[in-house]
Amino acid sequence: MSSEMSIPSSLALQQVLRKSFQHLETNQKTWHSVLAECIPLVGSVGNLAQQLRALSNVNIPNTPLQAFPDLQQRLHFKLVLALDIVLEKLNEKLVLLQSVRDSHSNQLMAAFQLYERDADTLDLYTCTQRSPVAPSIADMLEWLQNAELYYKQQFLKRKTLLHSLMPDDLSLLESTPERWDSLETSSGEEYITDTLFRVSFFVESNKGE
Amino acid sequence: CSAVTGSGRKLKDNAADWHNLILRWEKLNNEGSGVAEKIVDQRLKRSPGEAAAPPPGSAPPNPGRPLEQACSELVGVVSKMASIVAKMERLASSERGVLELETFQRGAAGRGGPLFHSWPTQLFVEQSAGLLQCYQKELALKQRVLQELAHTGPQDLCMVYLSCWLHQPYIPADSRLALEALLLETGHRAL
Repeated sequence: MSSEMSIPSSLALQQVLRKSFQHLETNQKTWHSVLAECIPLVGSVGNLAQQLRALSNVNIPNTPLQAFPDLQQRLHFKLVLALDIVLEKLNEKLVLLQSVRDSHSNQLMAAFQLYERDADTLDLYTCTQRSPVAPSIADMLEWLQNAELYYKQQFLKRKTLLHSLMPDDLSLLESTPERWDSLETSSGEEYITDTLFRVSFFVESNKGE
Repeated sequence: CSAVTGSGRKLKDNAADWHNLILRWEKLNNEGSGVAEKIVDQRLKRSPGEAAAPPPGSAPPNPGRPLEQACSELVGVVSKMASIVAKMERLASSERGVLELETFQRGAAGRGGPLFHSWPTQLFVEQSAGLLQCYQKELALKQRVLQELAHTGPQDLCMVYLSCWLHQPYIPADSRLALEALLLETGHRAL
């Protein structure tokens, strides 16, 4: 291939960055939809915890349900089973979040590898030069890096939250929906959306070629 | 296939009936869950707070109307569930009949080989009896919950009523497996 030498390294890097942002866009869509799917599941966790709490507050032999002596135990078992199923589903969602995080990290790594390989020819001027349609290489690398940080931190926080849950710690389970919501940093999400806006011309500019 | 006439036919049809009845039960259970939640909501609205005090003298006009409506809806659901259990009883007794006929015709040793893949006729009777018992017990619980749901009671107890309705404590998770095994044995599900 003759192009290898003829394309200036800045163009090659831009090409890789363009691809990274395209990936970021699909990754962000996946991330967003997976988080949306988590909302009802997390709500179920809180709800089941409330049901378990109510059951533990009620003494069945003193209620109209006294004709069902094994009810307490059976209902408790069913509730814990239901909780187990929901947590399992949340774990599956966590795996999807992880794969988004990894996919983005791989894109970023590819961009940085290329940058480091050609670092000799990429001087400060080239890296910081920007045009009306294209942000500078340095800016774009930084944005990708910040997005990576966001995915990493978010994934870690959500994983820690889910792994801290124990079936017998009702107050922890009950507060799961609020704690899950509080992990949502609107600034982080907005940052990625803003980034995608800022590079939209740049990403589009290559479609025709 | 030996399963198309006589006892085999009967057991195979019964297996399909079991499947359909259980599906209808599940549908009714979902329907009833929504109604039961409505009843508890209405009731909590009428008597807010933990201690369910009698409603104050100046009650708004016709506060019981939606509650009444929801209650009669739930009565309808439970009576449909009762008729499902009645049909299950008939299925179980017809399976006992198949076994009795077999014992009468061939003696205590029964038939030489299984009617389908591997189950002796006795196992059909046992499985049906097991399923029937679960649904009978669950129906009894539902009938009890129905009687109590709209009455005053602590909030936690209301929550337990709803949990009972939703999670069906007397229908164990492996009853689903028992049903699938029955369908597999009778050839309704491919091996």
